[in-house]
Amino acid sequence: MRSNLITGVLLLVFSVIFWLGADAIPKSRLSGSVGADGLPKMLAIALGVLSIGYLAQTLLTARMAGPVVGPRRETKTVDYTRHLRAIGMIVLGAVYVAIVPYLGYIPSIALLLLSVALYNGKRPSRGLLLFAVLGAIGFYLLFVRLLEVPLPAGIWPSLIG
Amino acid sequence: MEGLFYAWQAVTSMPVLAAAVGGVLWGILGGALPGISPSIAMALLLPFTYNLPPLVAVVLLAAVYVGAEYGGSIPAILIRTPGTNSAAATVIDGYEMQRQGRGGEALGLSLVGGTIGGLFGLILLSTLTEPLASLALVFTPPAYFALGILGISIIGSLSEGALLKGLIAGVLGMMIATVGTDPISGVSRFTFGNPNLLEGIHFILIMLGIFAVAELMTQAGEERWTEGSRPDTTNARLKLPSLATLWRLRKAQGIGCVLGAVEGAIPGGGGSVAAFLSYNEARRWSKEPEKFGKGSEEGVIAPETANNVVSATAIVPTLSFGIPGSNSTAILLGGFLVHGLQPGPLLFTTNPDIVYGLFGGLFTANIMMFLLGIVILGPCIWLVQRPKPYLMAAIFGLVVSGVYSIDHSLFDLSIVLVAGIVGYVMRVLGFPHLPLILGLVLGYMIESNYRRALLITNGDHIVFLQDRVSLGLLICAALIIFFSALREVRRYRKPIVLPESQIQENKHDAASFPS
Repeated sequence: MRSNLITGVLLLVFSVIFWLGADAIPKSRLSGSVGADGLPKMLAIALGVLSIGYLAQTLLTARMAGPVVGPRRETKTVDYTRHLRAIGMIVLGAVYVAIVPYLGYIPSIALLLLSVALYNGKRPSRGLLLFAVLGAIGFYLLFVRLLEVPLPAGIWPSLIG
Repeated sequence: MEGLFYAWQAVTSMPVLAAAVGGVLWGILGGALPGISPSIAMALLLPFTYNLPPLVAVVLLAAVYVGAEYGGSIPAILIRTPGTNSAAATVIDGYEMQRQGRGGEALGLSLVGGTIGGLFGLILLSTLTEPLASLALVFTPPAYFALGILGISIIGSLSEGALLKGLIAGVLGMMIATVGTDPISGVSRFTFGNPNLLEGIHFILIMLGIFAVAELMTQAGEERWTEGSRPDTTNARLKLPSLATLWRLRKAQGIGCVLGAVEGAIPGGGGSVAAFLSYNEARRWSKEPEKFGKGSEEGVIAPETANNVVSATAIVPTLSFGIPGSNSTAILLGGFLVHGLQPGPLLFTTNPDIVYGLFGGLFTANIMMFLLGIVILGPCIWLVQRPKPYLMAAIFGLVVSGVYSIDHSLFDLSIVLVAGIVGYVMRVLGFPHLPLILGLVLGYMIESNYRRALLITNGDHIVFLQDRVSLGLLICAALIIFFSALREVRRYRKPIVLPESQIQENKHDAASFPS
């Protein structure tokens, strides 16, 4: 229930911010009677109304259900750890975004394959290393050679001259 | 006759044939991997379709959908883990047959039932789509606006028990669609001075984030995979049913065909609903209902036929009106939009080669599914037995590389990661994904037609009520929302007491819409 209330409040705050953002959209004579800010403002109002409805629904449901026994501390910790582990995948992705312009595609994708497999429970082994290296080469052949996608080469070409 | 010519041209064209084969192959492998739904398998391929010819791109995506519906039954039968939502009904008797040493028979029934279902669905798709689409030929900008609103209102029927959450997700999707340059005046909106946002946020990025990255995050958060854990896949040799067996099971197949056709055409129905309904009805009409749950052949072929019929009939509303009713068809719609093709009545006159070519491609895909299904079982089992961390790493690698290939931009990759977080949070809080995608893909259509209609009438909103088609569609939309709200209120008046374990399950299910 608590998470629903927090979600409702956050959505309500977001609807206000979105309204303010829509209000700041420059006016243009070409926009017609509604204007470029017309739909965004309507959406902000809709989200605001729906968030209030959501909050009311949460409170009503809680009232109908009676006193709620809170989840055990253990369950909360398990949930917390689960979410942190999930966020870890995004961190790995963000690190990839940060290093690929410098390291280039092949080393970066190899590191990504290695780190994601390790992060998800694979023990370090020669097989894992081979998977990362062969995987990176496979991706390189598929994307750069076959599909001709100009993936970042990194600092290597400038070092080689 | 012209349609038949285009379909034949597609069937005999090498790139389309390759797309059908490649799509089915990818679909079966993706469907066989628990956690990779048909929509995720399709979303992973979406960036690759960017540079392909339009027909090849849509056939590739549709073929993945076809293949994934069969692929999902492989782990359902062999290791009691449905690869896709719609294969959940197959687990009941399929796994029981596997335990009795008849796993090969169950796989054969699933493959043949799926092929029959797919071809039956294709007949319906090719005969129903054009008449339905021709209805929309009289559409004006107000009517198109109303059609978009009707599409959004489908959220009501999709959000069983979570109407407000569905509507909120739909509005959020439309908000994302407003980012970028305004379609009428050219003014930039919510770009914060970032030139990368001027063209808006591409829906492919949101789809990849919401489906693929959020799934990877969920899997990473689940119980740790341990070294050495490997599923038992003995008795895994495919055995095709004889004609006599198929004749004996004709009633179950018929039930699967009919229910699959009805459920597929209804937005939100989806393969899983069709499969469970078919299973139930097949048991009701069976001469041997006592065998259900104990390894009944009818219990395998009925749901498998139904979910493959759905893979074709679910495309009917998408092609006729441009309104997707499931995650997979939303991605297929994305495949059309990427190439500047707007599904709907005009598509039949402007690009008949694409529409009928898609029908031809789907025919090839169904035949290929049958042929590949016989030989691909070994690789599927090999894949299912691979350590989960390797699969997750490979999928993540595919996502980051595929996203870059769209626009050669690392900024896009950041958007995908953010969309992944949004998708994950939505899953945790029980917000459905499909309304967000619907809002995103329909948002542009709604806004541009709304403003175009008002430009014509100098801002007079009465135009939406004067246009008969628009009025009819808006009334339908209002009715859908009204009845969904009524159902929601009734549900709250009669609260069902669930055990805690089931509450957790429901929370998860709310995020898993028909794929």
